[in-house]
Amino acid sequence: MEKDGVLTFAGREFRSRLIVGTGKYPDYRSMQRAHEASGAQIVTVAVRRVNLDRTRESLLDYIDSAKYTLLPNTAGCYTADEAIRTALLAREVGLSDLIKLEVIGDQRTLFPDNEDLLKATKVLVKEGFVVLPYTNDDPVMAKKLEEAGAAAVMPLGAPIGSGLGIRNPYNIKIILEMVRVPVIVDAGVGTASDAAIAMELGCDGVLMNTGIAGAKDPVAMAEAMRHAVIAGRLAYLAGRIPKKLYATASSPIEGMIE
Amino acid sequence: MELRISSAACSRDGAPDVELMINGKRQDVQQGATIAALLEELRIDPLRVAVQLNLKIIKRERYAQTALHAGDRLEIITFMAGGSG
Repeated sequence: MEKDGVLTFAGREFRSRLIVGTGKYPDYRSMQRAHEASGAQIVTVAVRRVNLDRTRESLLDYIDSAKYTLLPNTAGCYTADEAIRTALLAREVGLSDLIKLEVIGDQRTLFPDNEDLLKATKVLVKEGFVVLPYTNDDPVMAKKLEEAGAAAVMPLGAPIGSGLGIRNPYNIKIILEMVRVPVIVDAGVGTASDAAIAMELGCDGVLMNTGIAGAKDPVAMAEAMRHAVIAGRLAYLAGRIPKKLYATASSPIEGMIE
Repeated sequence: MELRISSAACSRDGAPDVELMINGKRQDVQQGATIAALLEELRIDPLRVAVQLNLKIIKRERYAQTALHAGDRLEIITFMAGGSG
């Protein structure tokens, strides 16, 4: 069996296929330990006002820039304009030219507004950003995002933070067949098997935050996810047996005791 | 919270304070104080932020040359924990 390659997009290579977030941790120290346990090399961050109260700790003090690639996101943006403005500010900070593009269409489901997402993707690609758009599991949309220049497509498995896992594996499989850029499942992963399932489908990576940060023991869950992503990828490459309705005996008939 | 920018950083000694908005909060700074001086006063590392003045992004190399005036709306942005999920 060929040894697995690396996650590649926009000319960058990453050994880990797990991308993690920074939100919802009890504190920065546990976040740092969870990141470590996850083996992730890419970490998503939000773009927000500086806290003028200087007694509060700074997130960036807990993310080693030598170890991790920062992936700023446009969380909280509901229009293309807001997302574009946020992306420009994120790039101006000067620590990353990647952008995880989120344009939210609905407050309760946090599903993407695909229309504005596509608009913003086109503008930001033209501005030279490496755009990773968070979208739904619509293969037609995924193809449009790829054609618009997205460096990867990131279909949701289930609503953000819902922990429902991969709700529509069939659509994800179709997306994998229809696009050439990496497909990274983003949102909805609740436990290790969800991540493994995403990788077994053939996805190039998995992005999660709540699944780890919200777990009772985030550091242990981060480690579980690390194994799950590796196991799922290996299983995919190993070529699973087909699913059959009836049994196929494993032992030969000859030599049976009479 | 009042911010007193040291007169050494300003164009004129004893310049009156002006009111502007910083990250959505009303603040007083000395008239003519620069963005660079403000960041130093606030103990903010300029290498970790982006600055938007009146809806326009100000490039880092311009911080020391950009003075603040009454009614300005300043946003000092950085990376914080979080995402939509």
